Amino acid sequence: MSVQTEPAGTAKAISIRSLNKFYGAVHALKDLSIEVEAGEFLVLLGPSGCGKSTALRMIAGLESISSGALLIGDQDVTEVLPKYRDIAMVFQSYALYPHKTVAENIGFPLKVAKTPPDEMDKAVRAAADQVELGELLERYPGQLSGGQRQRVALARAIIRRPSVFLMDEPLSNLDAKLRGNMRAELKHMQGELGITTIYVTHDQIEAMTLAHRVAIMKDGVLQQLGTPKEVYSDPATLFVAGFMGSPPMNFVQGAIKDGTFNASGVNTPTPGAPDVPHATLGFRPEDCAIAAPGQGLLDAEVFTVEMTGDQVLVTLRLDGAPLVVKMPKEFEIDAGAMASITLDPAHLYFFDAESEARLRF
Amino acid sequence: MSTPIRKPGIFESPRIGEMSRATKVVLYAFLLIWSLIVLFPIYWLIITSFKDAADVNQGPFFIPWVDFQPSLHAWKELFVTDYEDTLRAYLNSIIISLSATALSVLIGSMAAYALSRVEYAPNLITILFFVFLLAMTGLAVGLYGVDWRLAAAVAVALFFFLARAVGNLYQVRLKNGDILFWIISQRILAPIVVVVPIYMMFQSVKLLDTHIAIIITYAVVNMPIVVWLMYDFFNSIPRDLEESAQLDGATMIATFREIVLPLSRTGLAATTLLVMILSWNEYLLALFLSTSKAQTMPILVAAMNAGERGILWWTMSVAIIVMIIPVVVLAVVLQKYISKGLLVGAVKG
Repeated sequence: MSVQTEPAGTAKAISIRSLNKFYGAVHALKDLSIEVEAGEFLVLLGPSGCGKSTALRMIAGLESISSGALLIGDQDVTEVLPKYRDIAMVFQSYALYPHKTVAENIGFPLKVAKTPPDEMDKAVRAAADQVELGELLERYPGQLSGGQRQRVALARAIIRRPSVFLMDEPLSNLDAKLRGNMRAELKHMQGELGITTIYVTHDQIEAMTLAHRVAIMKDGVLQQLGTPKEVYSDPATLFVAGFMGSPPMNFVQGAIKDGTFNASGVNTPTPGAPDVPHATLGFRPEDCAIAAPGQGLLDAEVFTVEMTGDQVLVTLRLDGAPLVVKMPKEFEIDAGAMASITLDPAHLYFFDAESEARLRF
Repeated sequence: MSTPIRKPGIFESPRIGEMSRATKVVLYAFLLIWSLIVLFPIYWLIITSFKDAADVNQGPFFIPWVDFQPSLHAWKELFVTDYEDTLRAYLNSIIISLSATALSVLIGSMAAYALSRVEYAPNLITILFFVFLLAMTGLAVGLYGVDWRLAAAVAVALFFFLARAVGNLYQVRLKNGDILFWIISQRILAPIVVVVPIYMMFQSVKLLDTHIAIIITYAVVNMPIVVWLMYDFFNSIPRDLEESAQLDGATMIATFREIVLPLSRTGLAATTLLVMILSWNEYLLALFLSTSKAQTMPILVAAMNAGERGILWWTMSVAIIVMIIPVVVLAVVLQKYISKGLLVGAVKG
């Protein structure tokens, strides 16, 4: 099979065309279609069980494709074995070979490709230097820290200059500080190498910071595909709105009738909106502010006040549902006090609570 | 990685280096006494091999040159007078246990690997139909003298047309766990139950008293143990490693050679040793399947127990000593792997 028609290392576009995956009666991935551009950093984001890892494993060739087509470059690889797809993958567990040294681990892709030893040594050294592992080449994975193992896995992925990188939650086993550093390094490295990358995570901050485009998934269905800014400021569904952002968007349950959104304690005009019996009003914590009672959109009792350093998070309770407001760090208010939330009506989002679709009017 | 410092629990022993002097003295004294108890029978065996009939019959004497005068007569009898019998049995034992072990470890570990990596879903109805047709064919040929070619052709035709149709109608799928249990269940049966059918089978194909009969039987009998142990072992190797190797461009054979085999070395060593010892010591099946040419060491030793001259303790001791030696050597050589394989098991990244 002669699949590699272009020289290795050329970034290739990936065309995902209505991929489906069935495990018996379980429909794990439903009609996923994404056109990934050459050199793009695409993040598949979603809670566990949303099908993102299944999608990645199907692209890798580790899971069969129940229906649909997958193209890498202009090559249809739907039925092609993983080793002919010219991809490298970083696993969540790193999947380092415990019986091989760091150098042997990094050099493994070249070894199985029967690269001459001196050429291999040179490449291993170069890849190890790129991830700052030069000193540890003779160690075994068991003797390395989590961050170092992560680097070995990265070096093994980049040594062959594949046309596609796949990463399955590569940072989730690292502690928070290291994760931040590695995130920055990953982004830098991807930009430098320009290799098309598909990255799976459940962490929306990773997705926002790394991605050129984010694909948000839920229950095997693609919810929204767009730049981090688009999915954040213009969410297509209730799920996307609630998933992106930390703290997440505030929601108030109510109904839209005669051009007005009504909930207990909330009445806000929604000119031109159709009647929706179960509607959800959403607004982001940073888009609103606390004011004296009676002055804003709604009045509620302050539940807690959390000082995080650069800001103050004020949580209010409306009918038992928490509403979080981000205030500047100088802001002071006592728990138990009554307060009002004010915000620009332009920053209100409305959703149909049943279909979860965004209501635009 | 640093090991966290913590106090040992009540049932955990502290390291020997951390013990007080008094504890050490007591511990070593106990170990010494226990070793004496365990090793004494072997000492007795060794001195008995140097005793004359008279020395043995007079009662237990334990100190050579004081209680009795050691002599080499038993060794001479076995290795000079009857050296042909001894050597044949010894060679038989070596050939049979090595071949049977190789065969069962090879096939058994392949089965175990497949069971741990591939999901099978055989149709129970199809299997039952196959067994039924096999039995019917046997009956037709054996009882009614139907030409076996005709019976086989009918059975094959029926199987392909009927079994597939019926099988597709009733989808009762077995899983890997069922297959594994079926394999292991073969070992639950006591060998004595099947020894007569096995004897008759080999009689009908005229393979009694040959190496091949005993090798096949041992390989089959030990296969469940191999599958069981290796299945667990292969399962402890993370699948990620093989998937990663595949993505790195390795062929299936390269993946097996470079990743799976090195990681399962300890398990293979432990399993090999266990099966080898079982084959080496096996008595019952060998007793039925061999009469003279293919006799193994356990049969030779047992024969000394029932000769016309009474129980020949001295030659029996010699035979047992030479029988024990290879096993001890093997255990010492493979000790490193065995302790790892049987006690640690899992491969940690």
